[in-house]
Amino acid sequence: MIDISIKNISKIYVSDFKCKKKTAVQNLSLEIEPGEIFGIIGRNGAGKSTTLKMIMGFITPDSGQIFISGKIPADPDSRCKIGYLPENPYFYDNLTARELLTFSCQASGLDQKTSNQRIELLLKQVGLFAEQNQKLRTYSKGMTQRAGICFALVHDPDIVILDEPMSGLDPMGRKMVIDLILDLKKRGKTVLFCSHILNDVERICDRVAIMDQANLKGIYTKEQILENHGMEELFLKIVQQNELQAK
Amino acid sequence: MGRKLFALIFLTFKEGVRDRALVGVGLFSLAMMGGSVMVVNFFMRELHKVSVDINLSAIAFAGLLLTFFVSLNLMSKDMDKHTIYCVLSKPFSRTQYIWGKYLGIMFLIFIAFCILTLCSTATIFFIKSQYEVYFKEFSWLEFYKAIYAQFLMFFILNAFIVFYSTITTSSFITLLFSISTYIAGQTIEEVVLFLQSSQAMEMVMSKTIGSIIGIVQYVLPNLSVFDLKVRSAHALPISFEYLSAITFYCLIYSSVLLISSSLIFNRRELK
Repeated sequence: MIDISIKNISKIYVSDFKCKKKTAVQNLSLEIEPGEIFGIIGRNGAGKSTTLKMIMGFITPDSGQIFISGKIPADPDSRCKIGYLPENPYFYDNLTARELLTFSCQASGLDQKTSNQRIELLLKQVGLFAEQNQKLRTYSKGMTQRAGICFALVHDPDIVILDEPMSGLDPMGRKMVIDLILDLKKRGKTVLFCSHILNDVERICDRVAIMDQANLKGIYTKEQILENHGMEELFLKIVQQNELQAK
Repeated sequence: MGRKLFALIFLTFKEGVRDRALVGVGLFSLAMMGGSVMVVNFFMRELHKVSVDINLSAIAFAGLLLTFFVSLNLMSKDMDKHTIYCVLSKPFSRTQYIWGKYLGIMFLIFIAFCILTLCSTATIFFIKSQYEVYFKEFSWLEFYKAIYAQFLMFFILNAFIVFYSTITTSSFITLLFSISTYIAGQTIEEVVLFLQSSQAMEMVMSKTIGSIIGIVQYVLPNLSVFDLKVRSAHALPISFEYLSAITFYCLIYSSVLLISSSLIFNRRELK
């Protein structure tokens, strides 16, 4: 079964007072296979985060359909096996990382023994074990990002959705995230993520979707990316073509 | 389902109980209660009324500060700073989110009320032991009934906070609406009674305003029914029928607000 199926979704944002319309996503269709690492890249405002939010059920598409393992996003059960990291995550200031992760495990229905094992393992993997009992308000941006990654992965989800996972991380942190994603792939998990760091996307993704101005411009496999002299070259070519067409 | 909801209730409670504003609210109300021990010395008679009044006012004021600063912060911050994503990325429905947050807030208020009740009991007990002669008419039962009625009012007020948080995008607007609702809810009965009085009959008032007030009195909660400070201070008996009626009123009103909040929130876009 396909893990994530998006069929012709569109979303137009309407500003509250002026009723000004802005197309965020237009007629987007894609399918993500189980065990695949799928990247979405695009300029700011291309519609990447909106797409992820629609998959998570935070935003409802104006038209089209989304299925996650056969379930619609409005169904809370569709999120049972999903781990999500939002862009610039912000968590409850007065909680510690351990308490936040305990909540994630309880909400996902994990028993206490498994929860404790998973929490310890992940905190060690992301390098937050020593700071696990510090309140989240004392964390730096990079530490919050690491806590967010733990929050998304602690219940061992089958589908992992990461919005800008490398944001705010130092080179060591970026390497840690890449290792985590590759480890997820080894264990047969599906990963969908957005990023602006094209080298990382090229390195770890099986397929990459390029979005520009609310539209999907193409989905490329690793081989196709190599044929086009790398991700950066391909991305710039597509964006420039799009700009020329717009003119 | 139960364990999941409990996790959200406990998360909300934990986040609220560690809010720095809570320390300020606690210290202020304890100072007010402690101050009542000194203040009663300035009165030459009816010391029990003064001490009961000050202590009940301190509890009510602490409850209001908790509601307008801590509860509101717990709801609005979720929307403002997008902490809601971390909750809704888990298998919670939006209705469960609304009820989980509300019950977490009410659990926090309940614990705060228990602590404040203990402190005010100690304060009154101390004053009573010093001035036994003035406390002949005092009734502990009526005192606790008045605290219970105050607690009920916070069920409604916090349901309004949840409701306004689901329809607005700014915590300031939620605060403004909530304070307005509190003031209107406390005074609406007096306004209606005044308009029905013989003095008001002589006034010239437009029919539109009259009918607006007529509608408003049914839409807004009548919060003055929960204010039993005067009755308790005078040790006037508060019947259990009255307490049952206001409990029923509070539960119905809060439930309607929370159901409406859930319906609205289910349609809200979390951009």
